[in-house]
Amino acid sequence: MKTTQTIFQDGDHKWLAIVRDPAKADFLIDTNEYLITHGGQGMLLDPGGLEIFPAVFSAVATEFDPSAISAIFASHQDPDVISSLALWLEFNPQLRCHVSWMWSGFIPHFGGVASTFAPIPDEGMTISLAGLSLQAVPAHYLHSSGNHNLYDRTAKMFFSGDIGAALLPADQQGLFVKDFSTHIRHAEGFHRRWMGSNEAKHQWCSRVSQLDIDMLCPQHGAIYQGEDVQRFINWFDSLQVGVLRA
Amino acid sequence: MTDQLPDAIVAGPKGPALDLLHIVQINEEIKSVVAVAFKINIMALNAIFLAKRAGTAALGFGVLSNELRSFSSQLRETMLSLNALIHASVDGVSAMLQDSRYNDILERAVVLASKNKHLQEVIEQRENATDQFRSKLSGLRRALRSSVDDAYRLVELGGVLAKSAKIEAAYGAGFSSSLSQVSGEFDGIVEEIRTSLDTLRKSSFFRG
Ligand SMILES: [Fe+2]
Ligand SMILES: [Fe+2]
Repeated sequence: MKTTQTIFQDGDHKWLAIVRDPAKADFLIDTNEYLITHGGQGMLLDPGGLEIFPAVFSAVATEFDPSAISAIFASHQDPDVISSLALWLEFNPQLRCHVSWMWSGFIPHFGGVASTFAPIPDEGMTISLAGLSLQAVPAHYLHSSGNHNLYDRTAKMFFSGDIGAALLPADQQGLFVKDFSTHIRHAEGFHRRWMGSNEAKHQWCSRVSQLDIDMLCPQHGAIYQGEDVQRFINWFDSLQVGVLRA
Repeated sequence: MTDQLPDAIVAGPKGPALDLLHIVQINEEIKSVVAVAFKINIMALNAIFLAKRAGTAALGFGVLSNELRSFSSQLRETMLSLNALIHASVDGVSAMLQDSRYNDILERAVVLASKNKHLQEVIEQRENATDQFRSKLSGLRRALRSSVDDAYRLVELGGVLAKSAKIEAAYGAGFSSSLSQVSGEFDGIVEEIRTSLDTLRKSSFFRG
């Protein structure tokens, strides 16, 4: 089973990280799921793959009533992001899935009906969770061609999807980045190979530098906090991506 | 990562996956029978033509050729209705396969989150749906089995016709050897179909 950690809290406004499952098979890439709660409702960010649904569901249930999850935010269309959709819909058929317009015809292959999908335009949009404004921030071509991050201005929390991802060795599974220069070695190969466009990357770095962020939370690896957030953005800005051999 | 294959892969398909494998095998067998049924139709037309040329010496053979032709069109019709049943069964078994996959995952979730009442309810609702799938599928299984039996009986009748045509061929005077050849081919093909249908009747799908 995964563990749930509260990484931000202000009353019932919370960010929960659902992470690290010792029982997970090695051949599945490890993922972090995040749950934002506000006003008694929940939004699950990149709920994960079909295979890990039991581990994610049970970890969520320890902290929050899964029936109160009213929305899913999918950064993009990958199976490790959203292939569990059909099972979340079994649980709550009213659930809405916010995802780039590009994938609203593709993801239904994992499940859902037309009304399940709330397409996000390329320029991003504001999404409300029980009155809390969340901003879908464009992150196209990083790595998916239709890709968004999610910014919670009130909490200063930023969900970065695959950006900032690191493939961590078994003995370095901490939830937070401790030593940036050691950590970033595990992120480098992934960013060079998975991220497709230097131009898009540069635009993203300028856009995200302007936001006030306490924690940058990727879908894989560890969370960057404080100074490490800008350190990561600077590192990423100067990295050559779209390279076949890292 | 390990080099050893998981037990589930080593053991091969089971449950609805095994059903799907069987139904696909049945489908392949039926496709081959349909193709052969077409052949009989053409052979019967040739036989009718040959009997006409042989004239009064092959009157009995002519009558039997007409019977064989109507047998081949009946066989085709039977096979088409079998096809429709097969498609419905493939559809039903695929739905069961997806359903059981989701059930497995949800049951794993309920083990980890045993206190979640809503999850129990979801699983109970799914059990109802699974029961409906299952009873629809067992109806299809029965219909398919009785259709295969019908086809088998029809083919047995075809076998009698082919054997009678073989006897009649002997009275075909100067045409006797060509009539024998045609009726021999009939007999061979009907026997081929009979063997196919017999294999189908023994399919494990009908024991599921
Ligand atoms: Fe991805
Ligand atoms: Fe990913």
